[in-house]
Amino acid sequence: MIQNAPKVKAGKQTLAAVPPHFYWQRLGGRVLLTNDAGCSSWLDEKDFRLLLKGGLKEGHPAFAGLAEGGFIRTRLDFNALALKNKRKEAHLQIGPGLHIFVTTLRCNHKCLYCQSGAISQASKGADMSWPTARRSVDFAFESPNRGITIEFQGGEPLLNWGTLEKTVRYARKKGRETGRELGLAVVSNFSLMTEEKAAFLIANEVSVCASLDGPEDLHNNNRKYAEGSSYKQTVKWLKYFRKKSDNQEGEKRVFRPSALLTVTRYSLGRHKEIIDEYAALGMDFIFIRPLAPIGYAKNLWGKIGYSASEFVRFYRDSLDYIFELNSKGTAIKEKMAVMMLKKIVRQDDPMFVDLRCPCGAGIGQLAYDHNGDIYTCDEGRMLAWEGDELFKAGNVFKSKYSEVMLSPAVKACAAASNLEMQPVCFRCVYKPFCGVCPVYNYEAQGSLWGSMPSNERCATLKGIFETVFLALRDKKKGAVLRSWVEK
Amino acid sequence: MGGKMKKEAGVFFDARVYSPEAVKLAAAVFSGRLDISLKRTARGITATFGGAAERAAELGGAFANEALNQQCRMDLERKNSRLARIVLTKALLSATQRHAG
Repeated sequence: MIQNAPKVKAGKQTLAAVPPHFYWQRLGGRVLLTNDAGCSSWLDEKDFRLLLKGGLKEGHPAFAGLAEGGFIRTRLDFNALALKNKRKEAHLQIGPGLHIFVTTLRCNHKCLYCQSGAISQASKGADMSWPTARRSVDFAFESPNRGITIEFQGGEPLLNWGTLEKTVRYARKKGRETGRELGLAVVSNFSLMTEEKAAFLIANEVSVCASLDGPEDLHNNNRKYAEGSSYKQTVKWLKYFRKKSDNQEGEKRVFRPSALLTVTRYSLGRHKEIIDEYAALGMDFIFIRPLAPIGYAKNLWGKIGYSASEFVRFYRDSLDYIFELNSKGTAIKEKMAVMMLKKIVRQDDPMFVDLRCPCGAGIGQLAYDHNGDIYTCDEGRMLAWEGDELFKAGNVFKSKYSEVMLSPAVKACAAASNLEMQPVCFRCVYKPFCGVCPVYNYEAQGSLWGSMPSNERCATLKGIFETVFLALRDKKKGAVLRSWVEK
Repeated sequence: MGGKMKKEAGVFFDARVYSPEAVKLAAAVFSGRLDISLKRTARGITATFGGAAERAAELGGAFANEALNQQCRMDLERKNSRLARIVLTKALLSATQRHAG
């Protein structure tokens, strides 16, 4: 089935000559073709019309590539294509792997774009108790997924260190007893990090991640911290963990620390400074993430937000600068591109819950609030904090695992984010690699389904995909991108 | 055919294109933003908007787009539901199996 294909004369075209189902779009003067196996190909307009007419025959320079990618009906290798599709969509087989624990709502920062509904550090009744955390670990281990990742978030998770410490020990014990692969991660602003806490995290193979928004003035402007420079604390501990990781003393793996960049209006035009900051710290990755109009960010959108086209321009400029640095020997990768490339180049599943069909809400991730309430995702929990419990799927003390998975919230998100049922998406050239977010749609457009022609998240993702595909077509840039996902 | 704006800040949805369900769903999506009244006739549904005329005119177009979006989604469901249900069932069933350990 070809949607909106240019008109070609069918003549005496046989079924064998009709191309199999694929998606396409004109881009950068050529035509990009993709299919559900995750294969892609470029044709010029003339050859594209030839393919549609069934006139692109063996011996044509593009034939072998198209045949291998599953674009020639008479050469379809169903086993190979099915395998690629299964690998790319591996998330459909395994259940939730990411379990986000909101160990406290309290925070000692007041970030402009905070989406987590954090409250002041002196507040009462906002911490996850140890019994709640223990029950949450038990609940997470009921997932059929062999690999369980528990991510401690907040608020600032180090403000509830006692529960975090016990939870890490308990989860490690449970992981050993059940033979499951367990990943543990703390997302912190590092302002409360100490040598003792760092030693405990390293001894228990807990990876660390912090927000780093760029140079000191930009970072501190976004991430308000009354007790000093947020930037200095972040950088100090990123360097500390980096050094520990480089040295790898003892039997335990010391993971490279990672950092998250949130792009605000203040970041636009400063991509070089931001990337230089990451490069100077020796970070392997920079994750150029757009801001979503959820939480505090929604109220401040006029001040800190931007349009999809502004973000895409920033992303494109950033990626170009990263190519420049790579060509000079600085090995830094952009994480969003890497996750897309794993699907596009290798037909692998990067297990990125935001970019899959159906989306990861519930079936790929669960968020556990401080009181044991379970949400489809952290974004869904943030909405509940504002009084809307649409995305609540249960409670660790009151709900069975199967009840949560078959809760209205999980089923509604899975149905609404199924791209086969999304007008516009179902025929989009990026469909094999993309995903919609019901929480974003609900917040920005008033329904779980959303409406893609005016959806800013859709416009942003299309812009990023375009940037990545066009870069892949370029000889030098393409070589850099492919090197990022080489096994 | 459908989605025409009238002088009194209303939109007519032709029954040949729009099902009542699509228009009602669109009205539900816009319920917090726009005061909408729906009047059904044999030829279709007329949506009229209460409140400030300026805001009604501004959101009326968006409302018509939403009705179109809902109708396209329902049309697509008829066409694509078999494949969509396979994907959905696979994802939900896989996630629902409790770990045996």
